[in-house]
Amino acid sequence: MRARFPLFWLALHRRRRMLAFLAAGMVVFEALIVAVIRAVPPTQLFAGTGPTGPDALKAFSGSTGDVSIASYPGLLGAGLVHPFWIAMQLTAIGSLAAAAVAADVESGTVELLMVRPVSRLRLLAERAAAVVAASLALNVAATLAVAGGVALSPALHHAVPLRGVLAAGLAGCAFTLCLSGPALAVSAAARHRAQVIGATIAFGAVGFAVNFIAMAWHPAAPLRYLSPLHYYTPGDALAHGTIPWGPFAALVAVGFAGIAAAVPLLLRRDLAP
Amino acid sequence: MEREGPAIELAGLSKYYGRKAGVDHLDLTVRRGEIFGFLGPNGAGKTTTIRCLVGLLRPNTGRIRLLGLDPVADHRRLAPRIGYLPGELRLYPELTGAQTLRLLGDLQRAATSRRAELCERLGLSSADLARPVREYSRGMKQKLGLVQALQHDPELVVLDEPTEGLDPLVQEVFFALLEEATHAGRTVLLSSHVLPEVQRACGRVALVRAGRLVAVRSVSTLREERARRVRLVLADGRGARGLGLAEHWSPRWHGDEVRLLVPPAELVAGLREVLAVLPVADLSVEEAGLDEAFLDLYRQDVEAAEVRS
Repeated sequence: MRARFPLFWLALHRRRRMLAFLAAGMVVFEALIVAVIRAVPPTQLFAGTGPTGPDALKAFSGSTGDVSIASYPGLLGAGLVHPFWIAMQLTAIGSLAAAAVAADVESGTVELLMVRPVSRLRLLAERAAAVVAASLALNVAATLAVAGGVALSPALHHAVPLRGVLAAGLAGCAFTLCLSGPALAVSAAARHRAQVIGATIAFGAVGFAVNFIAMAWHPAAPLRYLSPLHYYTPGDALAHGTIPWGPFAALVAVGFAGIAAAVPLLLRRDLAP
Repeated sequence: MEREGPAIELAGLSKYYGRKAGVDHLDLTVRRGEIFGFLGPNGAGKTTTIRCLVGLLRPNTGRIRLLGLDPVADHRRLAPRIGYLPGELRLYPELTGAQTLRLLGDLQRAATSRRAELCERLGLSSADLARPVREYSRGMKQKLGLVQALQHDPELVVLDEPTEGLDPLVQEVFFALLEEATHAGRTVLLSSHVLPEVQRACGRVALVRAGRLVAVRSVSTLREERARRVRLVLADGRGARGLGLAEHWSPRWHGDEVRLLVPPAELVAGLREVLAVLPVADLSVEEAGLDEAFLDLYRQDVEAAEVRS
């Protein structure tokens, strides 16, 4: 396997420690969220905000529908759209997407790789697979942490079906793919890893801010369609136990569009430091 | 698969970085089985040319053929037959030497039959190969670079500044490897600014300056064409004086000693004249080195460029 896909393994091998720390951080973070929810019922946490809380707080519950943050699914959803969780995802995606092409160009190692019978499409395919595999692993870690907490708490289990946790995990995978595609496109064209990491963080942070503003300020509401977080609704998935297929498809489509855009960018460019 | 024709053929190759020309209409042919030197000062366009050759850079205009194949369009057919050592060798610092060679061998998709032999001859022990590359010295990295370039016994080897950082003993091994490669019918393109190593290894050389080809010559022709260094020691103690016709030979006086650069065609007749009129106590004639030959070619090219502008 390693001899067959050396570029894939190389990308993961070089960032294995970072990925291990991020996975551990995600597990600890989600476990803390579950522990807090079990210790303090959501109605007590948001006792002063009314039964559903202000609309803007929906941005923090991972819902665009009827799921209040003052509920078990809303609070668990909040753990999956929390800025800390998003920052960890962006770190993994930015780092691995940068490693796809731009980091090798910047460091000069691309010369040794690409003078061998390795097509540019193969480079992109193996490196994109590494980004997807790493994102998948982080989402699986977070999902298993949430699922464990839900299974161990009768009150949580009553309010949140396990298939809802699975659906939220799948939505998380689609969300990270949505961020990864454009990040790979930037990497295919960039000469420096900082450009890729910066673009990835900007995409995620601006998306978060746009979604929050659109939900908090009514005149800006149409802007929410521009944010990937509008389509990533783990709160709804946790509450209803189903994947919202439309938003899921939108996230996946953006991800694949980014990867598709990376192909001509990589084929046309010079590969030298 | 084409087995005839030149190993490397460049026709009108140009590569621009914005408006600046890295390489400007370069024409070059390297025959199969020769060690060809590619010379020029820093920034002359050597590395840009080489990166175009191996398909890393896309030329703006021109035609490139390596072993009869296009390095971009036929990359997957051509790459297994090429060995390449970059001028600025960059490796993955956290991989060990052995992991690096295995990774590059896996990507090469060709038998790496010479790996063990090359490691042994270049002095890379098993203990060295088990260490991460970040702990390697410049010379050890260069040895690893040579092994990865040669381990699959390629038909065409492109080496950019190959002896950088190598100690004299390892350089001897390197030159022996080059000799063996040519005996085996391999072609080597050796880019360098170290003239003695080119003089020692190469049959023909190309000289580039500012992205343009200045000259292609055989090393022996270059040396034959160049002026001879003549040193005369005069016996009368009068020091510098007029030399008549010999004034054209750039005389440099040091007391009673004068050094002249005499064109080969004028050497015998010219020396007869000088010896007839000067009280010469001692005389020596040396062949000019390749470095002087190139400096002379450069001067001619710069003067021609100034006249054109």
